[in-house]
Amino acid sequence: MTCSPFDLKDYFFEELPAQERALVEEHLKQCPGCREEIERLRLTGSALAALREEEPPRRIAFVSDQVFEPGWWQRLWQSGPRLGFAAAAMLSVAILVHAFARPAPIAPAPLDSTAVEARISAEVAQRLEPAIAAAVTAGEARQAQRAAQLVKETEQRLDFDRRADRVAFEETLSLLQKKFNVLYVASADLGVRR
Amino acid sequence: MIFREVEDRDLIGRARQGNVEAYNLLVSRWEKRVFNYLLRLVGDREDAFDLSQETFLKAYQNLGKLEDEARFSTWLFRIAHNQAFSLLRRRRPEGEPPAQLPAGKASFGLYPAELSLAVRTALDRLSADQREAVLLKMYQGFKFEEMAEILSCPVSTVKSRLYTALDLLKDTLAPAYTRGVP
Repeated sequence: MTCSPFDLKDYFFEELPAQERALVEEHLKQCPGCREEIERLRLTGSALAALREEEPPRRIAFVSDQVFEPGWWQRLWQSGPRLGFAAAAMLSVAILVHAFARPAPIAPAPLDSTAVEARISAEVAQRLEPAIAAAVTAGEARQAQRAAQLVKETEQRLDFDRRADRVAFEETLSLLQKKFNVLYVASADLGVRR
Repeated sequence: MIFREVEDRDLIGRARQGNVEAYNLLVSRWEKRVFNYLLRLVGDREDAFDLSQETFLKAYQNLGKLEDEARFSTWLFRIAHNQAFSLLRRRRPEGEPPAQLPAGKASFGLYPAELSLAVRTALDRLSADQREAVLLKMYQGFKFEEMAEILSCPVSTVKSRLYTALDLLKDTLAPAYTRGVP
């Protein structure tokens, strides 16, 4: 035990407020017992300080590994504006709650199937008949065009055959005339000789 | 000191964003202190190193829970304390009081001086709680409030452990230091 106004160990560890520290220092000037106690504490501290720090056997270092890294949501949560994020989350929850809490929509009236069928038939007829007529017209036009093409091709073929026959006839006639002439000349020669 | 605190805060912020290199730089600043704290607490270099790695890994995984970057050192030593006492509890058989370090188990460096040997021996004779209080105060320089936060106990308990330990150390070390001083 010491007679110091405040704990000497608190003084030694510098854990006393300035005013109390000053009072202890004043006391130490007058009290050899407390000075000896403080001196023993300082010697103890100096002895402990003789134990030096050691180096770790290896350096500690980490490599980037997704297993150890905080997830994106953790980084988002830790990134500062937590209140903003929390407010946004609260707003989202409120919107969801509002959406689910709205009254259910009124059920639609039952449909008149006859009227619907009539309307559908009219609509189909209105849209289908012009389409059919257009398709028939187009088909007829295509048929007429094809027939005209066939007639034209046939006429051209007949004309060609006709001209070929005429050429063949003329050639045959010319040949017969030449044969007749030869026979005529031959008969004339025979008459002269007789 | 202020500059260093700002830099640590910046590194913590970048590490929180997933920057591993920033965290490695932070680790390099603190690993020696954490290692020595754990070494003097558990008394074995390999155990102390393993605990140091686990401490820094746990710290990285839980950086998001650190509310005040300025209190990083207190928070880090709190994790180291938990890691160390988890190991000490596994070492200690059920129902026995906190163990002192086994004789010859301690391996606090290779200092031939008689004083260093006396210090190691004196620290080893303390209980784990008392030894930790001395380590946090004498070697790490934490204030009583910070120690209470690290140890999860009232300041009065911290002071009780520390002062009991100091009385035991004083009886052994003060005369030894007087003899050892040239």
